[in-house]
Amino acid sequence: MSESRFASAFLLPGALWLLLLFVVPVGFVLALSFGYTDDLGEAFYGTRLDNYERVFDPAFVPVLLRSVGFALATVVLCLLIGYPVAYYIAIFGGRWKNVLIALVVLPFFVNYLIRTYAWIAMLGDDGLVNGVLNSDIRFLNTPWAVIGGLVYGFLVFMILPIFAALDRMDPSLIEAGKDLYGSPWQTFRNVTLPHTIQGVLAGSVLVFLPAVGDFVSASMLGGPEEVMVGNLIQQQFLASDNWPFGAALTSVMMLFLLVWMVLYLRAAAREAREAPA
Amino acid sequence: MTPELWDARIGRRDLLRGGAGLALGMGLGGCSVGNTPRGSKAETEKPIKKRVDGDLVYFNYSQYVDPALIKAFEKLHGVRVRESYFDSMSAMMAKLRAGIAYDVIFPSAEYVQRLLSGNLLRRIDRDKVKNIDTVYPQFTDPWYDARSEHSTPYGLYATGLGYRADKVEMTGSWRDLGEVDSQDRSFLLDDYQEAIGMANLVNGYPLNETDREKLDKSRDYLIDLKPKLRGISTDTITNMTSGNAWIQHLWNGDIVNIRYQVDNPENYRFQKCREGLPVGNDAFCIPVNAKHPGTALLFIEYMLEPENAAQNVEWIGYPMPYEGAPTEAFQGLVEDDPEINVTVDDLEQGQAFENLQGEGRLAWDEVWTEFRVS
Repeated sequence: MSESRFASAFLLPGALWLLLLFVVPVGFVLALSFGYTDDLGEAFYGTRLDNYERVFDPAFVPVLLRSVGFALATVVLCLLIGYPVAYYIAIFGGRWKNVLIALVVLPFFVNYLIRTYAWIAMLGDDGLVNGVLNSDIRFLNTPWAVIGGLVYGFLVFMILPIFAALDRMDPSLIEAGKDLYGSPWQTFRNVTLPHTIQGVLAGSVLVFLPAVGDFVSASMLGGPEEVMVGNLIQQQFLASDNWPFGAALTSVMMLFLLVWMVLYLRAAAREAREAPA
Repeated sequence: MTPELWDARIGRRDLLRGGAGLALGMGLGGCSVGNTPRGSKAETEKPIKKRVDGDLVYFNYSQYVDPALIKAFEKLHGVRVRESYFDSMSAMMAKLRAGIAYDVIFPSAEYVQRLLSGNLLRRIDRDKVKNIDTVYPQFTDPWYDARSEHSTPYGLYATGLGYRADKVEMTGSWRDLGEVDSQDRSFLLDDYQEAIGMANLVNGYPLNETDREKLDKSRDYLIDLKPKLRGISTDTITNMTSGNAWIQHLWNGDIVNIRYQVDNPENYRFQKCREGLPVGNDAFCIPVNAKHPGTALLFIEYMLEPENAAQNVEWIGYPMPYEGAPTEAFQGLVEDDPEINVTVDDLEQGQAFENLQGEGRLAWDEVWTEFRVS
């Protein structure tokens, strides 16, 4: 067996997995998006375009922009919170490094939904925080609560890749930067950040993708205005029984995200070429 | 070729074939109508022998039967109850369509009608079921199931406004949701039927209005209501117990459950609104592909036993349409706020959500989406 054949044999299980559990289901969603429902809401495959005509209604634009806005805000906040956490653990964690990372990951074993309920209990008008502060602050049912929920929900996806990038970096590079009279900021900007930009990009994508499609945070923590694309899709599948329209919304969303994904991959490839050895 | 000839019903086998077809770049042209998951009339009518014929495969909302009753049923008949849960009727339908066999399911009245139209429910021989005569006479021939032959009614519910009697002064109208000063603590149910139905009632239309012009008026009512709301949410119990909601559009049973969780239950009350009362009920059904219909029948009979039903009513917090102990148990539960109860009068005067068809169905969906994105 030649070496390349041997390598492709190792690819087979992964490729099969992707084909069966990703490509085929996406195919169903695409196929269903041209379908229709009968009088009682049962879905049928078809060759119709009316679902897409509905999707491209300009009324959906604000919802799409809101979803992207919330997701971008989530990415920025995750970066601002996640980078220092990852930095601290990677650089100063020492022999506690693995324990600290385990502690970061631990809450994420708990279901997202349950963690969101915990937020409601803590931040409610009569909740823990207002009780402790003896205050009357309205945290919930605001756009900030939705973004907060998203940040809390997906923060780990930012911390882990940045941690991995920092962990791989040789700490003596930072010392070298300082030896060359770099201020802490200059050292960070010219040494640390370029070495970890791959992690930052990966983390940003890993946070952005689930955040932009999320519906839990908006429906549980948001007010009447905080509707995201995920909420509209969930409505079609779980309430209105209009799976074909839900599938069309999903397909357009996937296409939209694909564009971002391609942009990311190109940026990542460019970074990889330019990255310091 | 008309598009219809290309269309295929989505059964499990069709899905596989459809996927394969698509993957092969052949489109879905190979799919034909057929291999439907629908049952046949003959299968639904086969009499069920009331005997233990295996473990009970149970499919319900979670927390919708007292777990102690399930344990006792297991012990009584020496079977296991294998429970699984759904969180919406659509999710239940999806599992049933996929061909998974359950012995007992708990659909809403609307979905009983839908399942029946697909011949998916086994006939329940009423003569064989003890205590079925305690069921309110309103359910001997309900709108969703002729002669009640394929379902037995379970929980009853009515929709209204839950409110904090210590914080707000209500006036008995649906308009209270937007007009009573709740200091921005009013919540609409995130349920398109309940929300549009409520707006229809406010505008003086029937609950199930499908006329597009009238629906547009109802949509406008909801859009005007939106800035007066703090949220649109189905987490009614959390909203009220956390103090975030002083007025909450909800189902009567939610108030009972809220009262179980708070320190001063007397402040949490329920208002039926004068413009109209949406009422509904769930039901026990035995799907046509049930593997253990005998055990399922025993289970339904067990749940109808007045003592058990009374215990269950107290646990789940929803009334049931059974005369005697269960009715009294619920009355006792809501003594200080009888509004929470669903009475025989309510059943006769209230309006039930119907299965909307075609244009009407689409219109409701569009109205809701227009409201949500507005």
